[in-house]
Amino acid sequence: MARYGMMIDTRKCVGCFACRVACQMKNTLGPKEGFVHFEFLESGTYPDVSSEAIPMQCMHCADAPCEKVCPTGATYINEAGVVLVDANKCIGCKYCMVACPYSVRMIEEISGVVEKCRFCWDDEMGGPNNPSCVATCIADARVFGDLDDPNSDVAVAIAANDAQPIAGDLTEAKIFYVR
Amino acid sequence: MVWGPMIAVYLFVAGAAAGSYLTASLVSFKYPGGVFTRKAGRIIAPILLAIGLLMLMLDAEAGLRNPLRFLGLFANPRSVMTIGTYIISVFMVVALIVAVLELMGKNVPRALDIVGDIGAICLAGYTGFLLGDSLGVPLWHNSVLPPLFIVSALTSGMAIVSLIGAAFDYVEFEKMGVLRPIHIVLAVLEILLIVALLVIASGRGAAGAESVAMLTTGSLAPAFWIGVVGIGLVLPLAIDLFNMRSTKSEASGEALAQTGVVVGGFLLRFVVVSAGVMMVLL
Amino acid sequence: MSRQMTRRGFLRASAASAALASAGVAGLSGCSSAPAESGPKETKRVATLCNGCSNECGLWVNVRDGVVHTLEGNPDNPKSGGRMCGRGHGFAQMTYSADRLTQPMKRMENGDFEPISWDDAYAEIAEKLTGIIAEHGPQAFAFIRDPRPNINFYGPRFTAALGSANIYTHAAACNLSLQSGYRHTIGGGFSADLANAKMVMFIGRSYADGITPADMKTFANVAVEGDCKLVIVDPRYNNSAHMADQWVPIVPGTDLAFLLAMSHVLIEEELYDKKFVKEHVLGFYAFKKEVEQFTPEWASEICGVDAKTIATLAREMAEAAPAAVVEPSWRAAFGCAHANSFMTARAVAAFNALLGNYGQEGGALITSSPSLGALPADKFPTPPAAQHTRVGNEEYPLAVQGFGTNLAVLKAALEGSMKAVFFYQSNAAKGYANPAVWAEGLANVDLVVDIDVQMSETAMLADYVLPECSYLERLEAVYLLGGKTHQVAIRDKAIDVIHPETRPADQIFRELSAACGVGQYFDFTAEELVEAQLGTIGLTIDELREKGIVELPTSDFKYGKVPTFNTPSGKIELFSVTIGRAGLSPVITWVDRKVHPQEGEFYFVGGKQSIQSHTMTTSIEALMDISKTYDLERLWMNAADAAALGIAEGDEVEISSSEYTDTVHVHVTERLMPGVVYAPTHYGGSSPYLTQGYEFGICTPNFVPFDMEPGVGSTMSQEVAVKIRKVGA
Repeated sequence: MARYGMMIDTRKCVGCFACRVACQMKNTLGPKEGFVHFEFLESGTYPDVSSEAIPMQCMHCADAPCEKVCPTGATYINEAGVVLVDANKCIGCKYCMVACPYSVRMIEEISGVVEKCRFCWDDEMGGPNNPSCVATCIADARVFGDLDDPNSDVAVAIAANDAQPIAGDLTEAKIFYVR
Repeated sequence: MVWGPMIAVYLFVAGAAAGSYLTASLVSFKYPGGVFTRKAGRIIAPILLAIGLLMLMLDAEAGLRNPLRFLGLFANPRSVMTIGTYIISVFMVVALIVAVLELMGKNVPRALDIVGDIGAICLAGYTGFLLGDSLGVPLWHNSVLPPLFIVSALTSGMAIVSLIGAAFDYVEFEKMGVLRPIHIVLAVLEILLIVALLVIASGRGAAGAESVAMLTTGSLAPAFWIGVVGIGLVLPLAIDLFNMRSTKSEASGEALAQTGVVVGGFLLRFVVVSAGVMMVLL
Repeated sequence: MSRQMTRRGFLRASAASAALASAGVAGLSGCSSAPAESGPKETKRVATLCNGCSNECGLWVNVRDGVVHTLEGNPDNPKSGGRMCGRGHGFAQMTYSADRLTQPMKRMENGDFEPISWDDAYAEIAEKLTGIIAEHGPQAFAFIRDPRPNINFYGPRFTAALGSANIYTHAAACNLSLQSGYRHTIGGGFSADLANAKMVMFIGRSYADGITPADMKTFANVAVEGDCKLVIVDPRYNNSAHMADQWVPIVPGTDLAFLLAMSHVLIEEELYDKKFVKEHVLGFYAFKKEVEQFTPEWASEICGVDAKTIATLAREMAEAAPAAVVEPSWRAAFGCAHANSFMTARAVAAFNALLGNYGQEGGALITSSPSLGALPADKFPTPPAAQHTRVGNEEYPLAVQGFGTNLAVLKAALEGSMKAVFFYQSNAAKGYANPAVWAEGLANVDLVVDIDVQMSETAMLADYVLPECSYLERLEAVYLLGGKTHQVAIRDKAIDVIHPETRPADQIFRELSAACGVGQYFDFTAEELVEAQLGTIGLTIDELREKGIVELPTSDFKYGKVPTFNTPSGKIELFSVTIGRAGLSPVITWVDRKVHPQEGEFYFVGGKQSIQSHTMTTSIEALMDISKTYDLERLWMNAADAAALGIAEGDEVEISSSEYTDTVHVHVTERLMPGVVYAPTHYGGSSPYLTQGYEFGICTPNFVPFDMEPGVGSTMSQEVAVKIRKVGA
């Protein structure tokens, strides 16, 4: 079985929110809900200045703190390493939101269920269904695929760019950033 | 932070339930004559816990809409909340039986009471550990918070029981001399733990420092300094010390002290829950 | 917004009640329960075109049980390149907005709007319009549109059918100066061959803010993986700048000085392409003589870029030439911004000429567009040409003919000679020039009709508002794409009409023209039109529907071939008789900006944001939630300026100009030149019907005095200085 992960190149990212809105529609989230949010950084002094837009979403940690604390087992890690939520088990206690150091979980208003990025996992397909954030990215800043396949686009890109998790070894995150 | 006042209430009343139960046990063991105080502790413990569970459920919207999902709370033994569910389940059953026996005027078997005591200690501990599993919140994710919440649970429970016991029979309450030194010791311990929590949190990056600032100088400062420290710790300690030196204590002073402890106990949970700040990763 | 009105509500409910979703909004109130994901889903994919901005990217719409689920960029479409921007995704949600117009509206005596039937609206409009034309002549009627292929067919046809020549686009508030400048210098627009260039300079242009997805993708890949030098010339460190090799902050409205000085360096140091200039440039010696005075030191005083940087950049461009190009830009810096915008575009074209980069790999590409054959005359008779000169043409003869300057209509309205004005999907009264002036002008007009999907600020000033169905609910005239390759694309109907009293443009014009007595020019359906259009190039609608876009074999583009310059001389005209006749300098020279901030005042620049398009997307909840969450309405101010005024991040300030005063919160940043403030150009909605954007942020045109650029008639959107004062200070 594959082990899915992503690389995000913030050198390319322009913070345009296309990923957020595309994801919102694919996952039928409400207009104020999103699995992707952004951190905007600015450094330097005029005119020697630089900026960075950093998209944040579920890092699909192999040691996901949210999964550990979920009392009902609604949050689980599937065979492909994707952290998922079984909406029919979630009681909405929000313990996972408290536990996630990346603050990338949100309450779905319509159901009270705490949801998050699912790498567009499709049960019927038994795999990710063309993750919309990657598919729509106008700056080509995202690469997705099987981390265990050394020839996959994502594995090649991570190796070539020495991409790292956003917070070092805080958790075993599977989204790697080039900054 | 995603957890708000409801969770603070839950943590407070669950802890107070444990404290109440333990106080009642202590009284029944040491002061067989302290009927009102014992009854108060044993009856109030399951009621407090029930209120707490209600808060927890009201805060869990998806479960509230599909109540059968709450059965799933037993599912993940790696979750502190699941362990808490085990504890609550055992303790609630015991506490209810004990309360019913007490109401029927029957004796509570010592073995059952001890099971209840163990459950209560676990329950108090659980309220401390629940917040601790939040990797990204320096104010919560440390080794000081659990003992602090345990101590606070004991004092809060003891204060509620004392308040009721004293209201019904002050003379009888006056005889239970051991409660006061226990409270003094716990209160001093609580002050030390709060200091330790602030010191540790402020050393854990910007988020920890922000939490500490919120508590000591920010929006939560009035609740923290006046409520937690002033009303909840200093005032009761002062009254306790005064009462210990004088030959006869005043019921009104005692009531003031105990009320202060209860208010401070709740506000401690409230400010700690409210001051939780997720660490900045970038 | 009521829950049941949202697309999500539709989608959630659709599994249970697919029929209701397509029938309308009734009966969906029970859809707030748990996800109704079970049950069979009927899905289809429809190829169509986005309508979120003028790019009209190709996209695939995935429809589930009659409701739009997702959109994907069509990989065969050269604009989207298979990608899609945020506002494109968000724009689809407007279809399900509770703020949409759902029936024709008429303004009553007291100013309130009341529903009116289509038949009554047509009858009343026709009576008034034909009356006005009978009394004042067809020159008293004008039609203003945001130009998109469908309305580019229907708008001019309708206007001509009524005998009027007064047909305009929104360009006076977009890229009129720039396109006119190029038109009169190199014969038309050009594109930068970014993918193959060694050095590209972007002046006031940010691919990350005014987005064409395919171009953004190319930019990012060239910037991060390529070895092309990218230079951003902009007072603001825009959202593309972090990828560029160099940011050159420049005083707003002085790009012309910068360009003239770079030209000076190339000529002075003989770094220009002599062979190219000799063969393809007219007026070089006049230009050479003119720019002698425009030294880098001279320019530096004006534009704030130091002389050494100007000279170095010019030399680097020459070194990289012909694979070096000044990118054509779009709206922000010199599309319609300043008194010298037309001349600035001329100077861009001239500098590229000195580089000899036209038609070269990595240079400036002038490509052709495909065309259709003549439609069958019996079914599609052509209205006779109007018998009068378009209003504005005499005073602003340099404006590109296909655009015209719509502000001439406003001027005529203020003077009282314009009696009937139609708007199509065109929020002129909010964005084209000072809104107060538009309100004053339109108050003089006897008949104002607006066709839109929502109650825009312009609709608020109309006598009749006719609701069109959304772009996802209609089939439109074909879209021809020019460039290195030629294509034809289609906007198709992806879903059934949601609100039964909304109608597509083809039906509106068919019915309205019949009411006006000129129905013979519109006696066909959208299907019939598309079939006839495609028939002229040997295609059928079914062939086009298969992929949404078909490549045509008509492009003759080849790298290395110097293109034909469509100017009177057939050469690049650095000296133009036409321009001289219009009263402007025939040779490219320095023209100052009109307004100079005085002590204590700031330059005021505007610009696009990635998730908003003009003012029309501020009604979309998902996009406005982003704007509100990330405080995107804030006024940018340099940190040093802010410190001097005691302003901190998020503080509220009063911003005032000669025309207007408002309050707004401040974003303190190092990403902006001192002395300049920047505000996005989307916000400050004043139509209470559009609840999401209502009174959020400031409306930049409010601050700008109404005036028009000489020669072309552009709005001069940045000819204003503002004062900033901290509220409560």
